[in-house]
Amino acid sequence: MDIGEKDKYELGKRDEHNNINYQAPVLSTDWQFGGANLTSAGMSLVPTTNPLAIGSSCASASLVDSFGSSLWEHPSNSQNMGFCDISVQNGASSSNAMEIGKGLPNSLRTSIDRPFDMGWNAASAMLKGGIFLPNTTGILAQTLSQLPADSAFIERAARFSSFNGGNFCDMVNSFGVPEPMGLYARGVGLMQGPDDIFAVNGMKSVSVMESQKSKLDATEATRDAGLRVENRAKTSPLENERKSESLMQPNEEVKQGTGGSGNESDEAEISSRDGGQDELSTLDGTGGEPSAKGLSSKKRKKSIQDAEIDRAKGGQTSTKTAKDSPENQQKQSMMINKTTGKQGSPASRPPKEEYIHVRARRGQATNSHSLAERVNFVRREKISERMKFLQDLVPGCSKVTGKAVMLDEIINYVQSLQRQVEFLSMKLATVNPRLDFSIEALLAKDIIQSRAGPSSTLGFSPDLSMGYPPLHPSQPGLVQAPLPVIGNSSDVIHRALSSQLTSMTGGLKEPNQHSNAWEDELHNVVQMNYGTSAPSDSLDVNGPRPSSNRKVEL
Amino acid sequence: MNNPHHLNPTSLKSRFTTRFLRALTKIRAQKPISSSSPTEIFRRYRRIKVAADKSMAYSVRSRRIWSKAMLWKLRSRSYRRQDPCSGRRSGKTNQAIMKKSSNENTTTRREDGVGFVEEADELRQLVPGGETMNLCNLLDETAHYIKCLTTQVQVMKKIADFYSF
Repeated sequence: MDIGEKDKYELGKRDEHNNINYQAPVLSTDWQFGGANLTSAGMSLVPTTNPLAIGSSCASASLVDSFGSSLWEHPSNSQNMGFCDISVQNGASSSNAMEIGKGLPNSLRTSIDRPFDMGWNAASAMLKGGIFLPNTTGILAQTLSQLPADSAFIERAARFSSFNGGNFCDMVNSFGVPEPMGLYARGVGLMQGPDDIFAVNGMKSVSVMESQKSKLDATEATRDAGLRVENRAKTSPLENERKSESLMQPNEEVKQGTGGSGNESDEAEISSRDGGQDELSTLDGTGGEPSAKGLSSKKRKKSIQDAEIDRAKGGQTSTKTAKDSPENQQKQSMMINKTTGKQGSPASRPPKEEYIHVRARRGQATNSHSLAERVNFVRREKISERMKFLQDLVPGCSKVTGKAVMLDEIINYVQSLQRQVEFLSMKLATVNPRLDFSIEALLAKDIIQSRAGPSSTLGFSPDLSMGYPPLHPSQPGLVQAPLPVIGNSSDVIHRALSSQLTSMTGGLKEPNQHSNAWEDELHNVVQMNYGTSAPSDSLDVNGPRPSSNRKVEL
Repeated sequence: MNNPHHLNPTSLKSRFTTRFLRALTKIRAQKPISSSSPTEIFRRYRRIKVAADKSMAYSVRSRRIWSKAMLWKLRSRSYRRQDPCSGRRSGKTNQAIMKKSSNENTTTRREDGVGFVEEADELRQLVPGGETMNLCNLLDETAHYIKCLTTQVQVMKKIADFYSF
């Protein structure tokens, strides 16, 4: 099927020049390539319109088709993502596409991540080689910019995605955790063979695709704006979550209907639904951190599309699937993680290194200054996300505004916690264990149960606690004092509990056979410790050493 | 008999508690409490503190940069104490690790273009292993570190309260 499709494309290409000659017959042949759904949809759309008819989605589709077919003339890139290669080889056609795409404002690109992904997937599904569809979609996007009517194109894209038959999810999941946004630009390039070409064409193809995307879904505008910059290959849970979010949305949209009337996002969803339900859920699961920002949606969509393309290829041709999808997945993961040349398993492997990859948008300056700005923007957003999270952790930070003050608060809190640990360890060093160590297990359970009320007991403990090392040299007598006091406290406990515990007075060595009986009583003791604050006990304890009441409660 | 409603037995809290209690019993078994001279107590205090940090770091394993750094620090310290010659060895490994981590994170003086350098540096000193992290990771690690510290403080408080009744 793929081969046949390719032949058709070549045929179509021969008919046309590398220019975007939107000839209906060529287009029709090209669209037959697409597959059952696609052909029906494409055919209906393509022949009816003049390729250059701007203002009708059909026209745009046909434009895309023609473009794609022209791009097919040099199917040098047998891989899925021959998009960039084709654009290079086709020179004129690609340049035409590029020119068209340039016409698109950047905002358009940003607007449509998901639908573009849907279209992507559809295109990839159609194109076994993986070249045509991206190109066509790119061209389509370009033409779309000129065409006000997006619905028809969306229809076609939807059909394409449905053709994919649910590989979307698989493709998406091949990325796994990693940042799909990074995949977007890189995925296109990496999927192809020649990276150098990709480097040249990646931008173009990306821009093309972006323009197309923007056309496809105007609603995505807000999301895309931030995403473009966030080309970061980081497999953080935040990003995973976002990625899953973006994935889920397209899927849901696609699900709505395979009919032509539906949005392409709907169709993409359908196609993606098949395989990727569980995968998406896992993605959601991995996205533990609360990140509401869908900044990377745009890039993610692209990567998703790439994944879809891989999947489409894999799904359609069983022979190729195994080879291509893991290979592409690997490439994608490589792109996503952007680690130092690592090509490990995708998604699951956490990135050892993080780079902030930012691709200049089409028409944007690519000088280092603007790129650096974008990188900084991404960084700052991440940092502010984490600061918000920390704000919840640190008590009393909700009122604080400003990062610097927040950081100071965090620093103070960490310092206080560390000091608390030191103080408590000193306290434990001075305290005598009254009970058998087997009781520790029970104590552990109680501790784990996080019983309430320990803070109340701290009121008594000051007199018992030695507090800080500085006390020792200054008042060695005080150091000695707590031990007998502890003994008194144990007496107190015994009195409090029952006669059964009188054997505890010895304290340290309890016969194990009593341990079982002890557990219940210990339980009671613990409960007493935690729950009750018997003033009598505290008085007894306080009596002998009133001067030691200088506990510093942190 | 025992509490039927236990919290997650594999939670950080329970992991830390069991480890810490085990270490405590070991420490207590080593020296009788009766010898409670200030120096003895101080020594025990140090040991308990180390045990607390160690059990916390072990409960987190190497999943976090700060726990890895802490374990590494503790181990090198113990090596140095046991055998002064081993300090060289551990020093080498330390250097290797530090170099590796610093290579991963390029410059140590991190401007990041964000502008919280002073506070960030201070935070880096507080969080173990923070010198080799950029601000983003640093904040991540700080969040997890704070969570672990609060758990530690909670557990130790309960133990101390129980004992210091």
